[in-house]
Amino acid sequence: MSAEICELPAHEIVARLRTGDLTAEVVLEATLARIEAVEGGGGALNGDPNGANGIHAYITLAEERARAQARAVDRALEAGDNPGLLAGVPVAVKDIFCVSGIASTAGSKILANFVSPYTATPVVRLEAAGALTIGKANLDEFTYGSSNESSAFLPTPRNPWSAGHVPGGSSGGSAAAVAAGEAALSLGTDTSGSIRQPAAFCGIVGMKPTYGRVSRYGMIAFASSLDCPGPMARNVKDAGLMLLAMAGADAFDATAAKVPVEDYLDQIEGGVRGMRIGLSPDFSRLRYPDADTGELREQVLQPEIEKALLESAERLAEQGAEIVEGVDLPAVQYGIPAYFVISRVEAASNLHRYDGVKYGYRSEGEAADLFELYRKSRGQGFGSQPKLRILMGMYVSGEQYEKRYYERALRVRTLIRRDFERAFERVDAMLAPTTPTTAFEIGGIYGDSVAMQYADLLTVPANHAGIPAISIPTGLDDSGLPIGMQLMGPDFTERRLLRMGRALEQLQESRPPLVQERVGA
Amino acid sequence: MPEFEAIIGLETHIQLNTDSKIFCACSTDSWRVPPNTHICPICTGLPGVLPSLNEQVVEKALILATAMNADEISQASFFARKNYFYPDLPKGYQISQYDEPLAVNGSFELPLPEGNSRHITIIKLHIEEDAGKTVYKDAKRLIDFNRCGVPLVEMVTGPDFRSADEVAKFLIRLRQLLRWLEISDADMERGQLRCDANVSIRNVGEDRLNTKTEIKNVNSITNVRDAVQSEIERQMREVKAGGEIKAWTLDWDDQRGVLSKMRSKETEADYRYFREPDLLPIQTSPSAVAATVSQLPELPLARRSRFSEVYGIPEYDAEILTEERSLSDFFEATVAAHGGNPKRVSNWVMNDVLRLIREQDTLAGELGLRPGELAEIIGMVEAGTISSGVGKELLEQVRSSDRTPAQIVEEDGLAQVSDASELSETAAHILEANPDQVAAYKGGKTGLIGWFVGQMMQETGGQADPKAAREILESLLEG
Repeated sequence: MSAEICELPAHEIVARLRTGDLTAEVVLEATLARIEAVEGGGGALNGDPNGANGIHAYITLAEERARAQARAVDRALEAGDNPGLLAGVPVAVKDIFCVSGIASTAGSKILANFVSPYTATPVVRLEAAGALTIGKANLDEFTYGSSNESSAFLPTPRNPWSAGHVPGGSSGGSAAAVAAGEAALSLGTDTSGSIRQPAAFCGIVGMKPTYGRVSRYGMIAFASSLDCPGPMARNVKDAGLMLLAMAGADAFDATAAKVPVEDYLDQIEGGVRGMRIGLSPDFSRLRYPDADTGELREQVLQPEIEKALLESAERLAEQGAEIVEGVDLPAVQYGIPAYFVISRVEAASNLHRYDGVKYGYRSEGEAADLFELYRKSRGQGFGSQPKLRILMGMYVSGEQYEKRYYERALRVRTLIRRDFERAFERVDAMLAPTTPTTAFEIGGIYGDSVAMQYADLLTVPANHAGIPAISIPTGLDDSGLPIGMQLMGPDFTERRLLRMGRALEQLQESRPPLVQERVGA
Repeated sequence: MPEFEAIIGLETHIQLNTDSKIFCACSTDSWRVPPNTHICPICTGLPGVLPSLNEQVVEKALILATAMNADEISQASFFARKNYFYPDLPKGYQISQYDEPLAVNGSFELPLPEGNSRHITIIKLHIEEDAGKTVYKDAKRLIDFNRCGVPLVEMVTGPDFRSADEVAKFLIRLRQLLRWLEISDADMERGQLRCDANVSIRNVGEDRLNTKTEIKNVNSITNVRDAVQSEIERQMREVKAGGEIKAWTLDWDDQRGVLSKMRSKETEADYRYFREPDLLPIQTSPSAVAATVSQLPELPLARRSRFSEVYGIPEYDAEILTEERSLSDFFEATVAAHGGNPKRVSNWVMNDVLRLIREQDTLAGELGLRPGELAEIIGMVEAGTISSGVGKELLEQVRSSDRTPAQIVEEDGLAQVSDASELSETAAHILEANPDQVAAYKGGKTGLIGWFVGQMMQETGGQADPKAAREILESLLEG
């Protein structure tokens, strides 16, 4: 295939804008044309769940905002001014970030009418770097899910590699949009794998930076101690470029790290010679609780994923990396139960503010008293996923359980962190599959909360540890669905992870089937 | 019939007088400004916002903790979320501190009459954000978010008070201290100082704590005293009648002066506290604590004792002079400049300077009359250069002009005439003009000396030094 403009890598768009070969307006119009061709309509409240066999990646398009930004970039170029690191690059913003003047829905009925008066720090920085905010991408409601099926905005996004499969989640619309050429980049969030898992399912690159590397200000919170905004891109270099534009301290986020931001691109082609990369049996020995007995059962990885892991290790070894096998991370098996507790407690509290009083959905008709107003507004405004999280979060944070659940879960988290610290004394990074399986079928798991949560089994350890991790596309399984491998490194080693990722990535030559159906091979 | 004693503990909330709110840059001014004008996405809890801590809040809270002799100031204390639903709490949780507060284990020696005192323990002291205000109007509930995020210190005392009067005295001392330290304006009517009281009773001689009730929403020291007193009396009546005290939360109605039970919905809560993940721990290094301690001014009670001891002034004077820090500084500086009897300075400050301060509605330090100038005036009166009446008038003249007391006396010709030759001349003239009175005096009516002095004063326009005039008149009349 010869790449269309909307399929160009972000770094190439920036380079061609600078040489005058392209204008931001041309890039934008090409991208809008692609959206027109493949989207089949975005998600809407009370929308048709079956959709029109399109990608359905977006909730809101922001053509006017993007056009104004494109004109500003082109004017800057004409005037000889620096148009920024991401000049003219169309970016899909996951609809969990507040953007001034645009609906910021979190994929929920309760915020469907909320238009933010301010813009999230990562978006401010992307726009300051010349990026074009093309729209708000669909997601699981309040990011609660791994399939994007829980959004109140229907139809939910499809996996561009197979219409019958989910794009993953919660940054499902983001991953689908980038994979389908509906944006060059997307700003996602990763609380237990919500960037990496959909990136793996859709065959793109997704990075969860170190906790605090990118400001959370303006990101509607899920589990505040785990949430990380991060880049989603079609290649590693673009992910590095996007991270560079967003990372750094922020006076509006006390937890944003003051550690200086490194140049993520200058060594990106430097290869992996001499680097030590670890493999752990604890990332292949998967423990799931039995649905009936609650006892842990061991499962093996999907065979193609196991094979891809070994091939990836070989590929890195061939380039001079030292593969260290048998690195033990014994506490990661408790990652999901600990995550259940921490994320639910924080989520229940973070959801308190949606009460029908100040903004967002308020129940219609008279309420007998204040508490009925709360009950009705929240009962009607929240979908099942927030409700499940509120129930569990309220339960385990109750006075009588205060010491038994949340504090214990935090201790588990510390153990996981220590496992990684010990591992990183021996290796520069850990290599593991991003997901136990490739994309699952729509409706296949949704409704089984525990099974859905276990889709994050391999990704959640990095969130607990706070460390950076990047998911890299490494090929397709036997049914043509993408496989992703992740690299995890010590705090603030994004530069090295990107360099390793660059050595590992296997970019697909062909367009995803759903895109081919609409625009040809 | 056994004798009862009251056991009272207080939970106070103190608004710190920082310029901006605890987690955002909005102004803390929430008194009589139009509703919802000092607000932003952060203090109104819009989706996605995060708090960032105003360091000034920690500094001011630390000053209070050290002034309360807290012997355990945490090197790392943590914020926690106190979760509950209320319309004026826009995030649905209050950012507070819980099990790891800024400071614990303080104390305050409350002076009582006749040299007694009461040891009040300060159980804990922590930082938190204020909520907004709910106003009911025309059957509507209106919310004003201006107060959201105003910094508060919550300070909890032990059950150490034994009467409503002690509680009132403590609140007066606390208000004095907060203003002295310049960390709060501490006006109860404006909600800058709030107080909930836990009240129980027991038989004198017992150690145990009985079931307590909690009194909320009291907005003046007088009302706190009245509310606590009426609750003590109610409990005593109840127990004497064979009843039982239940753990009620009581609301004080200051219009009617009665306590009423609050609805259980507003009192039963599980706040589901957990550590606030959006903020880092408050780091308080031992050196920061040491610096705060070393910069702490002399506290009012210590200064009061020192004034009595060092200056030998009555306790009553010392109390009034240390009511407010600026006044006590003014007094002390005047004593130093004056160099004479401190009690004389005290009289001038307590009578004349305090009157001026009240008239001008200002602080001693901002009165415009400097301690050196007051000392100069007192000195001139003592030296007989001016009369004490002129001295008092000078206070206002010096306050409202740029001239020094000496300049005013000189330029306006206010000095007393005590020059012997000048006075003798005037005296001779008066005797000459009043031969009848002279004869009467010489005939034994020596009481007429007062009349002659009066004539001298009249003749000199009040500037004659009465003492010198009298001496000269006497010598002339008897010579």
